[in-house]
Amino acid sequence: MKTRWNRLVKLAVPMLFLLPLMTGCWDRLEIEDRAVVLGVSIDKAGSNTGSDDVTNNQGTRERLSRDSIRVAVQIALPGRIPLGPGEGGGGTTNSQQTVWVIDVVGYSLDDAFMRLQQQVSSRIFFGHLRVIIMSEEIAKSGIDNVNDYFRRNSEVRRMAWLMIAKGEAMPLLKAAPKLERIPTLYLMSTLDEGINMGKFPQDYIGMFWSNASKKGQEGYLPYVALKKEQNVEIMGLAYFKGAHMMGKTKPLQIGGYMAIKGINPAGYRVFVRLSGSSRMVMTSTTHRDTKWKAAIRDGHPHFMITIVLEVNVEEKLDMEFNLHDEGVLREIQDVESKTATKMFGRLIRQTQEAGSDIFGFGEYIRAKKPGYWNAKVKTKEQWQEQYKEMTFDIKTFVNVRRVGMEAR
Amino acid sequence: MANIRQITAIQSSAVLASTIIGVGVLALPLFAVKAADAGAPLVTLLGMALGYIGLYLITLLGIRFPNQSIVQYSEDIIGRWLAWVGSVAMIAFFAVITALGAREFGEVVVTSVLKNTPLEVTVVVMLALATISSRVNVTTFAYIHNFYFPLLLGPGFLIVALSMKNADMINLQPVWGNDPSGMVPGILTVAALFQGSFVMTLVIPAMRRPDRALQASFWGIFIAGSLYVSIVVAAVGVFGSEEIKHLLWPTLELAKATTLPANVLERLDAAFLAVWVTAVFTTLLSTNYLTIRMTTELFRLKDHNLFATFLLPVIFVMALIPKNIFQMYAVIERVGRIGLAITIAYPGLLFVVALIRKKRGKRPNENAMEPAR
Repeated sequence: MKTRWNRLVKLAVPMLFLLPLMTGCWDRLEIEDRAVVLGVSIDKAGSNTGSDDVTNNQGTRERLSRDSIRVAVQIALPGRIPLGPGEGGGGTTNSQQTVWVIDVVGYSLDDAFMRLQQQVSSRIFFGHLRVIIMSEEIAKSGIDNVNDYFRRNSEVRRMAWLMIAKGEAMPLLKAAPKLERIPTLYLMSTLDEGINMGKFPQDYIGMFWSNASKKGQEGYLPYVALKKEQNVEIMGLAYFKGAHMMGKTKPLQIGGYMAIKGINPAGYRVFVRLSGSSRMVMTSTTHRDTKWKAAIRDGHPHFMITIVLEVNVEEKLDMEFNLHDEGVLREIQDVESKTATKMFGRLIRQTQEAGSDIFGFGEYIRAKKPGYWNAKVKTKEQWQEQYKEMTFDIKTFVNVRRVGMEAR
Repeated sequence: MANIRQITAIQSSAVLASTIIGVGVLALPLFAVKAADAGAPLVTLLGMALGYIGLYLITLLGIRFPNQSIVQYSEDIIGRWLAWVGSVAMIAFFAVITALGAREFGEVVVTSVLKNTPLEVTVVVMLALATISSRVNVTTFAYIHNFYFPLLLGPGFLIVALSMKNADMINLQPVWGNDPSGMVPGILTVAALFQGSFVMTLVIPAMRRPDRALQASFWGIFIAGSLYVSIVVAAVGVFGSEEIKHLLWPTLELAKATTLPANVLERLDAAFLAVWVTAVFTTLLSTNYLTIRMTTELFRLKDHNLFATFLLPVIFVMALIPKNIFQMYAVIERVGRIGLAITIAYPGLLFVVALIRKKRGKRPNENAMEPAR
C-alpha cells in the first residue's frame, strides 16, 4: 500500500509542475486580439506628408541621416471577411468593409511599425502578410532596410510577394478590385495567376532574396501599376543591382526574360509582320526550351544561348493570304525567330548596361567554370563589372505547331 | 537477469539515428555552407564519414567487450586511474552537450515560436522530460527511441522531397565549392553533430547479438547521415549558398518556404518544429542517459534513477551560461571540437592499447543468447 502511494506521489509531483509549463500559455494570443496584416506598402514620406511627425523628430532624423518613409498596412477585420462564396448574399465586395488601411510615417520599417502599434490596440501579426509594395522611388534609393526587417522577422513567410509600384504604393493597398473581397488577395492572385498563365516567373520574396544574395546574380521584382478600374497591370520587371533598383523592362520583355531562362509555361503573344505591307499575324508562345553553354573567349565569359519556342498562330489580320499557302508558316518562323533574337539581345544588353545580371549568367560561370570564377571574379562587385563585358550569341528557333480552328 | 539482452540490431540502428538527428539540423546547412559554399553537401558527407570513424571504433570496442560499457572496459584496458580521468572527461562532455542542446532548443523556440515564454521554462521543461524518461533501463530506453524514430524520419524526408522542386542544380555546383579553404574546420564542426552516436556504448551490452553491432552502427549513421546530407542538398539547392549565410537556421527557413501541394499547408515550419521538438527530445534523452549511466558505472552505484534527478539542476544551470546566441554557437563549436578528441581519439587510443595488450572481454553469457540457429 505504502509503495503504491509512493509511486502515485512520485508521478503526480512532476506532472503538477510540468503540465502548467508545457501548455505554452505565455504566448496565448486569441485571434480577435491580433491585427492580421495582409499587405504593407512603403512610400517616401518626404514631399507628400503634412510633416508633423517628421519635424518633431528633427534630432533623430539628423542622426539617422535618411529620409522618412510612409508605411501603410492593410489589416484584416476579424469577422468581416466572408468565408466561402455563399455568405452575406453578395454586395459585400467593398474593401472598406473587409480591411482597414492605416498609414504611419517613420524613419525605418520597425520604427513605423512601432508607431503603428502605438495606434492600434491589437498586436500586429505578420503571419499572413502576402504582399509588400514599394514605390519605385524607395526601390531606387535601396531596400536593404526592407530586406533586413522582413528576413529577421520570423512571422513573415518566404512565399509573400514583394513588388514595385509605379508611382505611389499606397493607392494599391486602398484599391478595391471587384474580383476579390480583399484587395491584397487580388494583387496576389494577379501574380499567382500570372505564373500559371506564363505571364510572370515565380518570384516570391524568398526567391528575390536568394537571387539578390547570389554572387553571380541579381534580383528582380514585379513592376505593377494601378489602372483606372482599380485593376492592376503587370508592367514589367524591375531589375536590381544589389539592393538598388536600376531600371524596368517592358511587359513583353518579361516574356523575353522567361525565354532566356527557359521558364514554362509560356504565355506571351506577339505580332509577326511578314513581308509585304500589311501581312500580319499574332502568335502565342506555348512552350520554351532553352540551353546555355558557357565558354571563356578572349578572357571574357561568352554564352551561347539556344532558345526553342513552340508557337501557335492566334490571329491573322489580313484575309489576302492563307496560312496553308506554301512557305507562309516557314516565313512566320523565320521572321519571329529573327525579331525574337533581337529582342532577347536588347534585353540582355539593357541589363548589362545597368550591371544587373538578373539571368544568373554569373552563377552559371561560378558553377560550370569554377577555375575562371575563382581566378577572375570571386566577388559580387567584380561580377557586376564583368557582366558588362560578357558576350553572347543567341539562336532562336521558332516552331509553329497549331493555327486554331480555322483552316485557312 | 535473463532478459537483459533484448535489443535487436534494427532497434539499435534506430536508437543511433534518432540520437544523432537533433538540434543540429536547424543550423547544419549554415555550418556546411560557411565551410565551402556550394560544396556544403560534400562537407556534410565528409563530416559524416569522420563521425563514422568514431562510431566504428566504439563499436569495435563494444564487440570486443560485449558485456561492458566504455567506462568499465577502459579500466581493464588502461588501468583504473587513467580510465577514471577519461571517464570523467566523457561524463563532463555529455553533460555539457545536454546543456547546450537544451539551450539551443530554447533559443530556437524563443526566437521563432513562443516569443513571450521565458527561455528558462522551455529549457527546464525539455530537461525535465529527458530526466524523467532517463529513469528507465536500456531496453525501455531503446523502445522510446524506436517509438519516435519513424516520426522523425518521415517528415524530415518529406520536407526535403517537397522542397526539391524549387531547387536549382546550379546552386550545388561545383560540388567541391568555390572556396574550399574552410573545408577542414567545417568537417570537424559537422562531425561534431554525429557525436550522439556514442550512445552505442550503452546499447551494445544490451544487444541480443553484439556481433551484429557493426551493421547496426553503419545503418544508424547511414540513415541519420543521409537525412543530413539531403537536408543540406535541399537547403543549398533552394536558397543558394550565399543566401544561407544570411539565415541563422536555414532548415527552419526551408520548412517555411515549403508548401504542401494543393494549398493544404502553405508553410510547413509549424509542422516541422513539432517534429524537431521530438528529435531534440530523443537527442537530449540519449546524451542525458549517457551522462547518468556512465556516472553510475564510474561510481559503481546500484541505481541510476536518483542520480538522474540530481543531475537536472546542474545541467540546467550550465544551459543558462551562454550570454547570447552568437556566444552559444561559438561555445557549441568549441565544445564540439573538444568532443571529437573524446569521442574519436580516446576510443581510438583504447582500441590500440587493447590490441597491443590483447585485452578482450567475456563472450556474452550463454543463457541470454537466443537459441542457436
